[in-house]
Amino acid sequence: MIAQSNLQQGEFIFPQGIAGFQDAHRFGFIYEGHGDMTCMQCIDHPEAAFILTPWDTERLQSPPTLSEDHLTCLQGSSQAPVDYAHLMWMLVLNPFADQQWVTANLKAPIILNLETRRGIQYIRHNTGLNLRFPWAPQPQLAASSA
Amino acid sequence: MMVLRRKTGEAIRIGDDIRIVIQEIQHGTSIRIAIDAPIHVPVHRLEIYQIIQQENRASSDTHALQWLQQRSKQP
Repeated sequence: MIAQSNLQQGEFIFPQGIAGFQDAHRFGFIYEGHGDMTCMQCIDHPEAAFILTPWDTERLQSPPTLSEDHLTCLQGSSQAPVDYAHLMWMLVLNPFADQQWVTANLKAPIILNLETRRGIQYIRHNTGLNLRFPWAPQPQLAASSA
Repeated sequence: MMVLRRKTGEAIRIGDDIRIVIQEIQHGTSIRIAIDAPIHVPVHRLEIYQIIQQENRASSDTHALQWLQQRSKQP
């Protein structure tokens, strides 16, 4: 389950926008009540809406280390250094690209600072990372096999 | 597109707040550059940024919430 109560307490600011949606800076989260997926919806651009799920350390190991630039971006106007306990790592899912699988973008996770309400998309330059990692079966397939 | 000739150690400034410094030229085929830009200006290798742009656009949809709602109704 996702710590939804905190996510839905107001908007998150993405100072750098999202790749492909550079003008999309303000996002809200919509949770449907159960499960581990949530919708990150841009407040100003309706077409910028993503399905996210939390980073899974069991499947992916620990998230990568953040650079000083990333931390500064997540710090916002706060003078205090970023507290790692307030960072939430999430993966962008793609439910539209594959008929069998909902895929996860391991190359560019989302990081949210629950304290400062800032977010970034962390574009990782390791070329070996999977852009469409098979994350979960498509819902209709999962239901039929249950 | 503007083309400038620069030597190692020389810099280019874009606007008031972006500075690019030529740090090193290696084997005459690649250069190492340092980029100083405001925090709201993302800086990435072009080919990787384009891949992420495309995937973000493919992942994003006005029906994302609808998809999530339908998924939630399934057992």
